[in-house]
Amino acid sequence: MPRRNPGRERPQRRKKAQHAEPGDAFRCVGCRLDVPMSAPGTAHRNHCPHCLTSLHLDHRVPGDRRAGCRGRMAALSVTVRPDGEWLIIHCCQSCGGLSANRIAGDDNALALLRIAMRPLSDSRLPVSALLSL
Amino acid sequence: MSTNGKSPSTLNTFECVRCGLTVTVNAPDGVRRNHCPSCLHSLHVLDRVEGGPSECRARMIPISIAVLRTGEWMLIHRCTRCGELTSNPICGDDNQLILMRMAVRPLAQPPFPLEAFGDL
Repeated sequence: MPRRNPGRERPQRRKKAQHAEPGDAFRCVGCRLDVPMSAPGTAHRNHCPHCLTSLHLDHRVPGDRRAGCRGRMAALSVTVRPDGEWLIIHCCQSCGGLSANRIAGDDNALALLRIAMRPLSDSRLPVSALLSL
Repeated sequence: MSTNGKSPSTLNTFECVRCGLTVTVNAPDGVRRNHCPSCLHSLHVLDRVEGGPSECRARMIPISIAVLRTGEWMLIHRCTRCGELTSNPICGDDNQLILMRMAVRPLAQPPFPLEAFGDL
């Protein structure tokens, strides 16, 4: 799907060192898809573009690879930076840790939209607050 | 139970770091709250990664809403100083306009044209 490109205001942080893991691809723990490390639009791919599942490898700093957990991280929600970039918030299924990562250009648009629509499809009270405006 | 009919725990209050509202620690439905019901901001007092108290004590801004499989709504905060993320359940008296604003913000700035989904 074509992406809107509003022009990047915020340059990405450069990688300090190459990670220990060899190879240029990883296999998704959710859907077993072989995913190349290079992604359009981001230098820090950490989740599967098909099912958006990630793996709990980083501890506090993104890229530090110091988490001993290695649990599966499911996409929990979507948030937007002030400049309009979407971030996926992942939640570790085994320890409950949270992390945020920018979406890549080839991420599944339907899966992203499903997560973004989840609060709105809930027919609970806050929707009535919006309708009463 | 004290003489005025209220247990001491319901009288505990804290002051919101952003809007200065004095908030009771216990929400009307009895759960302990950690964020201001008016502006939904919080304070970084618990370390989520290590567990236990945190030395950061900076302001935490609400960045998104997550809906769990159980249907429960969680509010996700990010610390403005150290960037740590936390999630907490929403309370019954939380500001619903701010909740809805966070829920619709991704759809207001989509990275791909949403018109294509009309054909699906």
